[in-house]
Amino acid sequence: MRLEPLHLWFELGPGPLRSQVLAALARHGDPLRWAITAVETLEATGAAATDGPKGRRVRVEAVLLR
Amino acid sequence: MVIPTGIGCRIGGFAGDGLPSARLLAAASGCLITHPNVMNGAALYWSDPRIHYVEGWALDRFAAGDLALVPCRSQTVGVLLDAGMEPELRLRHLQVIDACRATLGLRIGPIVTTDEPLQVSLSQGPSGSSWGRLGRPQALLEAGECLRQAGATAIAVVARFPDDPLSGALADYRQGAGVDALAGAEAVISHLLGRHLGLPCAHAPALAPLPLDPALDPRAAAEEIGTTFLPCVLVGLSRAPGLWPLGPSAERPPEGALRSEQIGAIVVPAGALGGEAVLCGLERGVPVIAVEENVSVLEVTAERLGVEVLRAVSYAEAAGWVLALREGLDPQALRRPLRLGVQA
Repeated sequence: MRLEPLHLWFELGPGPLRSQVLAALARHGDPLRWAITAVETLEATGAAATDGPKGRRVRVEAVLLR
Repeated sequence: MVIPTGIGCRIGGFAGDGLPSARLLAAASGCLITHPNVMNGAALYWSDPRIHYVEGWALDRFAAGDLALVPCRSQTVGVLLDAGMEPELRLRHLQVIDACRATLGLRIGPIVTTDEPLQVSLSQGPSGSSWGRLGRPQALLEAGECLRQAGATAIAVVARFPDDPLSGALADYRQGAGVDALAGAEAVISHLLGRHLGLPCAHAPALAPLPLDPALDPRAAAEEIGTTFLPCVLVGLSRAPGLWPLGPSAERPPEGALRSEQIGAIVVPAGALGGEAVLCGLERGVPVIAVEENVSVLEVTAERLGVEVLRAVSYAEAAGWVLALREGLDPQALRRPLRLGVQA
């Protein structure tokens, strides 16, 4: 067993935040401890640029068990 | 009440300096669940039957509905000592155990030493928060299993942490700035052991004493009035609630057990909404009270995440919101202008 640090950025989709984070982390290992540590708003393009919802991407820092 | 560990919170980011706020929230709520980072003041502690001491991994699982908390009159606290400790440091910790038995009447023991040094190392994430690793995680888990088999119902871990008295981070911390460089590694240790054993766990770092600092910040002072950080951990664990797994095939928890459906509110620093317990609460519609005064290195706010919270400038205001919710008051009724709630 090893403990490995990980940080990753990913774009949030609609729906609950926690399950999106867990799904993103599961691709890398078994998360022991994690948190969203930054959020960025993405610039919208096309029609959404004026009145549509803006996207977000988040940074997650974690320690994984491998 | 959540004050995430190792992110440099202005309140609660030092040596148990979130404790006065925790006591206030306990009085306002009648029942407060919080984690060791809030309660641990090294040689200082406050035992309050309204406050439940729950390590971060278990707190997240409780919030997610995977565990119930079973209030307990007295735990048998096993102590896990890192083989990497020098004999004098080890003896100081053994004397703390004796003192807590003799002076406080705590039920402590057995004591187990790991087969090999745990090799704790400290690091920092890209956000500036503190993290850490163990070189020998298996040695931690094996010693924990020995303690459980020998009858421990809660486990205090003492790991030898690297001394770095000349580091800039430590100097900043002692002067009331920056991030607690040890905290992230401490959380990794207690998460790993708690998850493996399913028992209440908490951690105290073993460090050589520091030279006196006349400019020491009061918030960090609790860690410098004794020779170990262990007393608060033993006191906290001695009445920590038991952890009861929930699930379709699990036994029903005993009467009086606390379940996530009973959470009335979550109080958290306004810039630290990205932890699992808070996200669970938001998904379940639990009111989240975001305390703006408690700034940290993170800016994961309600606006940025696109979620709704109750804003409080201070913990005193947060306690007011808790009291309002407890009394069944609509928080919006306490603000002006009143938001229109009924559309014609």
